[in-house]
Amino acid sequence: MRVLGIETTCDETAAAVVQLNPGGAGEILSNEVMSQIAEHAAYGGVVPEIAARAHIEVLDRLVARALYDAKVKLADLDGIAAAAGPGLIGGVIVGLTTAKALALASRKPFIAVNHLEAHALTARLTDGVEFPYLLLLVSGGHTQLVAVKGVGDYLRLGSTVDDAVGEAFDKVAKMLGLPYPGGPEVERMAAKGDPTRFDFPRPMQGRAKPDFSLSGLKTAVRLAAQRIHSPSQTDVADLCASFQAAIVDMMIDRSRAGLRLFRERIGDCNAMVVAGGVGANGAIRRALSRFCGESGLRLILPPPQLCTDNGAMIAWAGIERLSLGLVDDMTFAARPRWPLDSNAEAAHHGKA
Amino acid sequence: MKILAIDTALQAVSACVVDDEDLDFETRETIAMERGHAEALLPLIDRVMAQVEGGFSELGRVAVTVGPGSFTGLRVGLAAARAIGLACEIPVVGVSTLAALAAPLIIHQNPGPVAVAIDARHGNVYFAAFESDGRALVTPRIASAREAAEALRQEERRRETTQLVGSGAALVAIEAEKLGLAVEATAESFVPDIIFVARLGLLGDPDLAPPRPLYLKAADARPQSGSVLAEAAP
Repeated sequence: MRVLGIETTCDETAAAVVQLNPGGAGEILSNEVMSQIAEHAAYGGVVPEIAARAHIEVLDRLVARALYDAKVKLADLDGIAAAAGPGLIGGVIVGLTTAKALALASRKPFIAVNHLEAHALTARLTDGVEFPYLLLLVSGGHTQLVAVKGVGDYLRLGSTVDDAVGEAFDKVAKMLGLPYPGGPEVERMAAKGDPTRFDFPRPMQGRAKPDFSLSGLKTAVRLAAQRIHSPSQTDVADLCASFQAAIVDMMIDRSRAGLRLFRERIGDCNAMVVAGGVGANGAIRRALSRFCGESGLRLILPPPQLCTDNGAMIAWAGIERLSLGLVDDMTFAARPRWPLDSNAEAAHHGKA
Repeated sequence: MKILAIDTALQAVSACVVDDEDLDFETRETIAMERGHAEALLPLIDRVMAQVEGGFSELGRVAVTVGPGSFTGLRVGLAAARAIGLACEIPVVGVSTLAALAAPLIIHQNPGPVAVAIDARHGNVYFAAFESDGRALVTPRIASAREAAEALRQEERRRETTQLVGSGAALVAIEAEKLGLAVEATAESFVPDIIFVARLGLLGDPDLAPPRPLYLKAADARPQSGSVLAEAAP
């Protein structure tokens, strides 16, 4: 089985072909990603209309290249999948409409994929992990701990009550005058700084429900930065290091609470899986690896190019759904908000 | 050759298939709507193509309106058209909504220039004007109704009545009359006749009229201001 996957929910345009080999292993035949970072850099964040414009500009050529690299034609595919949300509606509509039209014109099944589900299932493509497992999804748009029980079967254990972790990195970078995207910049500066100089809060520390909160920490960094009269490079490095240390402590504390809740509600946990762009942060990766070692838990950290947004994860989620006979029709509407766990209470801030 | 034409740029979702050799053949559908183009388009194309014996493999070309119009709307049509072009390995040609709105008047009406104004809100219009033979008189632009009327006056060489069409026609007509121009706002439809999108698509050259958006307006965003450190500095 071969499926084309299209991803356009944020600031990467991506298309990939993934094949399901006999025995159940996935194989990535092609994986094309075009990042729009340069287009958004001047604005210090993703501008929805600029993102949508960039997606329509390149998507069809990217699909053609993904097919060419995979050495397949549309006729050789078994289905066409696109991320239908959650994300920025203008971009989602471009990817979704492209996938639907490709499916209609080539008479192939169409699969609408939840972008978060694609992140959640990536570990089954890379490591063939069995259900159930604990997912830590941390990106610029999402921060949540999810029990992954099966395809389409998720229990959200906790999530951020305000900003996403990646968003906090970007905002801290912006207030310290570091370039966009801020995550790698903050990490680079943090490596040269003193993580103990500023005593930033560890939000939600010790709470049983594994929720996250970033806005208080962000404000603390802002106040500390403003108190320094014309900060030096050392000051900025110390601010970054102290901020990152607080994030790492919070992630571990929240993961511990998440694992406890997982074992209470679900039972044995097969692995802890990390997804999302923040999973590329070295300090967070090291801390999670230590935490999983102590907890006797298998840690699955997909390679960075599969942690950030990509088409292969959409294609793989398409394969998982198609294998279960789950297909969608031409009326499927983009879903800018689309929680993984339909029973979870709506987040009051509207961010999944 | 059969051509599939698609339009989702303004307040309707439309598709049709026409054949430039078999002039009797025609299948079309238009649904007027303010929003919901993305959900409506593919089922509509499915219905239109179901009337075509042989289906998608019979198509030789796709035409699509590229704007100006609703940013999201025109991307819906463009995404579908480009994907169908890719799937069927056929060329896709872009058609301006301004030209598509002007085309019926240019072909059928009495001689004289034709101006098209699409309401772009806040007193602005997407605007273009054409000679009676279809040549460009005023190139596509976004302008206030007043500026549009002034652009028209600069091109007014003969005392011919200019036909005005589109959802912004009345706005421009008021300003044009203030300038003493002879204009007539035509009570035509505010959305392109999809058959004319197809006809223009057959005439167009895919290399010269690529299926790329014609927004006429930059994305609404401002580059970021300085960091809090800069603000805090004396």
